[in-house]
Amino acid sequence: MKLSVLALSLLAATALTSQAHADKLDDIIASGTLRCAVVLDFPPMGARDESNNAIGFDVDYCNDLAKALGVTAEIVETPFPERIPALMSGRVDVGVASTSDTLERAKTVGMTIPYFAFEMAVTANEKSGVKSFEDMKGKVVGATAGTYEAIALEEQVKAWGAGEFRPYQTQADVFLALSQGQLDATVSTSTVAQANVKTGKFPGIAVVGKAPFDIDYVSLFTNREEYGFINFLNLFVNQQVRTGRYAELYGKWVGGEVPDLSVNGVYR
Amino acid sequence: MLNYTFHWNQAFKALPQMLDGAVVTLQIALLSMVLGLAIALALTAFRLSGNRILSGFATSWVEVARNTPALFQIYMAHFGLGNFGIHLSPYTALLIGIAFNNAGYLAENFRGALKAIPDTQARAGRSLGMTPIQAFRLIVLPQMLRVAFLPATNQMVWAILMTSLGVTVGMNTDLAGITQELNARSFRTFEFFALAAVIYYIIAKLVTLAARLVAARMFKY
Repeated sequence: MKLSVLALSLLAATALTSQAHADKLDDIIASGTLRCAVVLDFPPMGARDESNNAIGFDVDYCNDLAKALGVTAEIVETPFPERIPALMSGRVDVGVASTSDTLERAKTVGMTIPYFAFEMAVTANEKSGVKSFEDMKGKVVGATAGTYEAIALEEQVKAWGAGEFRPYQTQADVFLALSQGQLDATVSTSTVAQANVKTGKFPGIAVVGKAPFDIDYVSLFTNREEYGFINFLNLFVNQQVRTGRYAELYGKWVGGEVPDLSVNGVYR
Repeated sequence: MLNYTFHWNQAFKALPQMLDGAVVTLQIALLSMVLGLAIALALTAFRLSGNRILSGFATSWVEVARNTPALFQIYMAHFGLGNFGIHLSPYTALLIGIAFNNAGYLAENFRGALKAIPDTQARAGRSLGMTPIQAFRLIVLPQMLRVAFLPATNQMVWAILMTSLGVTVGMNTDLAGITQELNARSFRTFEFFALAAVIYYIIAKLVTLAARLVAARMFKY
């Protein structure tokens, strides 16, 4: 009798401890599925092809990550403002969603080392007379709500003390408003700007120059306390560069000179 | 399963900013109600006019306003008109979208209220020597407004909540716009949205309460 009670409680104790040790990395491997939050309104990082399949740099990156983990990838479409709620409510495991690694955000989620870097470009309506970043002063400008460039541009408009800033919900709305002349100019990542101008869906707009914002390093993100998983993700990003897969994906989706993901003179 | 630690102090720090946004929200809702009421009265008059073009116009307005989503109406006011080179600022587009919606619903309210007033009221007025217009203005209209008042406050609450759709047309000074921006900066989604929900709730409750008080004063026999 006494022995069986002891045995039972021992069993219960092992069950409890082993459960407490399972972290997100274990959970993903055990479940066999990696759920990635990807923004599919952000070509060439995330988009949909003619048959509505998710495509883009971020989609491929998620698939690579799933392959490294030995599981299947599931792409969960999340607009920019919904990336974090999706993670916090447990709908996704990791964000592969071109998320800028600001300190303010790192208070909420765990950021990896950068896996991609953007330069910012100014795209203007041809009738607006905007020919450079400085010309945007006093004009009606806009960007996609919740992005790095939107935050930077809004601050710039406040600093100029003239003009108006409008955040739109999607990249497509920004370019639609720009094409209609509701916006005079926008700042977006140069990759996105080129891709959108190239589609020909938005007549009357052109990329007119660079925006002097800092290089926008973007990270994968997951829950802040999941060190095991973040550690794995960091190594994965490193391996992607080391094996040349990063350069390969960059060539496939963007083209041109591959951005350096390291910062000179400091460790991360 | 919410894997999240709440940081309320960060949200409360932004409270003054959010309350500024709430003022803009209330302002748009009020303006849209004033516009909506005026248009709804005109639409009701059109419907009563017996003129087929006027009443057809009023009927189509009411049909479109009541049977399409407010989101669509606001989006059309900004991007739809923008397609034809008519550029409304986010503020104006939002205001016009909501006023359009309000007018449709309020016109229906007025129609229902008119039906609730027996014909004998107008006839009694006529038999006292009033002209048809006088009888309508002095006898029917006050009663109609009395019947329609509380349903109209519903629409006011609805207008307050509809202002949150402004974010789709680039609105960033109202409560929803400010909340969204705070969220984008810090990713403290749940704190800011919860706070915004409470503010919306309080505004809506206050409006309902105020309307009850006004109604009790204005419409007592």
